[in-house]
Amino acid sequence: MSDPGTPRTIIGFICERSLPLDRMLDANKALLDDPDTRVVVVPCSGFVKPTQMELALANGAAATFVCGCAIGDCHYRTGNLMIRERLEGKRNPKLRKATDRRKVGMFFVTMKDQAPFLEALAAFRAGLAQAVPASAAKEE
Amino acid sequence: MYRKFLRLTKSLTVSLEKLLNLLTTSEHNPLYFHGAIPLYLFWLHIFTGIMLWMYYIPTLDRAWSSVNYISALPTPGLPISAEGGIPYGAVIRGIHRWGAAALMIATLLHMLRVYFTDRHRSWRWLPWVSGVALLACVLFLGLSGYLLVWDNRAYFLVVATQHFLAALPGVGDALAAFLVGGSGITDYTLTRFLFFHIGLACFLFWLVWMHFIRLKEPVATPSRATNFLLMGFILVAAGTFPAINITHELLAKYGGDPRIAAQAAYVASDAPAHIGSLVETIRYDAWYMFPYWLIQNLGVGVTWIVLLGGTVLLCVAPFYPRDRRANIAEVVEAKCTGCTFCSLDCPFEAITMVDRAPGSKFKQIAVVQAARCSECGICVGACPFQAIELPELHSKTIEADLLGLLNKGA
Repeated sequence: MSDPGTPRTIIGFICERSLPLDRMLDANKALLDDPDTRVVVVPCSGFVKPTQMELALANGAAATFVCGCAIGDCHYRTGNLMIRERLEGKRNPKLRKATDRRKVGMFFVTMKDQAPFLEALAAFRAGLAQAVPASAAKEE
Repeated sequence: MYRKFLRLTKSLTVSLEKLLNLLTTSEHNPLYFHGAIPLYLFWLHIFTGIMLWMYYIPTLDRAWSSVNYISALPTPGLPISAEGGIPYGAVIRGIHRWGAAALMIATLLHMLRVYFTDRHRSWRWLPWVSGVALLACVLFLGLSGYLLVWDNRAYFLVVATQHFLAALPGVGDALAAFLVGGSGITDYTLTRFLFFHIGLACFLFWLVWMHFIRLKEPVATPSRATNFLLMGFILVAAGTFPAINITHELLAKYGGDPRIAAQAAYVASDAPAHIGSLVETIRYDAWYMFPYWLIQNLGVGVTWIVLLGGTVLLCVAPFYPRDRRANIAEVVEAKCTGCTFCSLDCPFEAITMVDRAPGSKFKQIAVVQAARCSECGICVGACPFQAIELPELHSKTIEADLLGLLNKGA
């Protein structure tokens, strides 16, 4: 059982061309396989601003991630490379230095990678469960 | 219906790529370098072509023998010997020959992949149409290469091409004469073919420039592993079956050797051409000589219809079906600082920076060229000032949705 006080909601920014979202989301834009993950559907992963991910964290999200097409296969050529470089701090605009990188994820998949994506998301969430209490203890 | 077809082809393509990813990983999947591979092969042709050009003599009586001289040196394990010859000449010629087949296959795969993943339409029309021109250019390059050998097959192809061109009303006869450089085949004919071959190769660079002009940082080089793998395949093919000239004497002496039989069937050139002595049929190279197969089997008229009709269909493909195009990026003039981030990140060169009026707070402003905009929003992600937006997906809407999702999750 997770601590009811610990935020569990993860905000995902998912490119509409990277995953079959019409089969993966419920009416509230939550993932059917992980209802605590809520999804903002974007036209391309490169559309996502790092500040929007920071906004999600600042407003109570346990973590946030962006999901785009497989590297090398972006429908718009470079969107996935752009967001990857922005989140890695290699391209402007970048994440703020104070942003906890452990709470920011990236996935790059093909339309046929629904199961691997869900596995990677579960691993990301499990990583958070280990990392966040440790950091909370540090703050205390 | 057509959109459904494109969705189906995309799904099949992605499935195939996923399978290949298991073998190569996505980093080295050749299908992710499908555009860079033809360019790599073209460079290979430039280098081997220059080497072959050094020894080529473009006259009727010397062309065949000069090509034969290049590739006649005994190759280990092959029963060919002749006086003279260039060390590894047959292998260099083989790379040029096998590379030509690989170039056409890679170009067609690139085209099919782009079409099947619906990446040819709308704002992508220029890369697509210039790609059609590149395909035609590769076809003519290959054909002109076959003519340079000046063997029986080359002579047959020249005569067939003259008949094909002469069938055009009005300009046909003039075109047929232009092809051979006069009313008959002379030494000037081969000089002209050499000019066509090298001139088209130079023209191809211009077409590649057109192909890339609206793409930011085009993928022009395959991964190193793909390069080595491709080069390895071609070297093995060229080393196992080097390109040579096959003569009647050679066939009479070594015709029973399976390697000579394989070479005769696939990569070898024929005996030298003799004007006035036309062979009845030739070995068709499926990648380059399909128009001649059509001429011989369906007639000149049908071949013109198939080739012209096919070209027109390919050229109009990017304009159908039309998309709504209601979400073209818009610049918020008051917020734009002229930082250039959006212009630098736009994958289709749709944003240019122009000078603002004198006295303005900022020197430049971004301007979106609507016809080039893909509505992807990468510029929106690049802008730290919310100065460029997609009208139907404003950043404020995204942020409101985001906060709404968090409230639902609370």
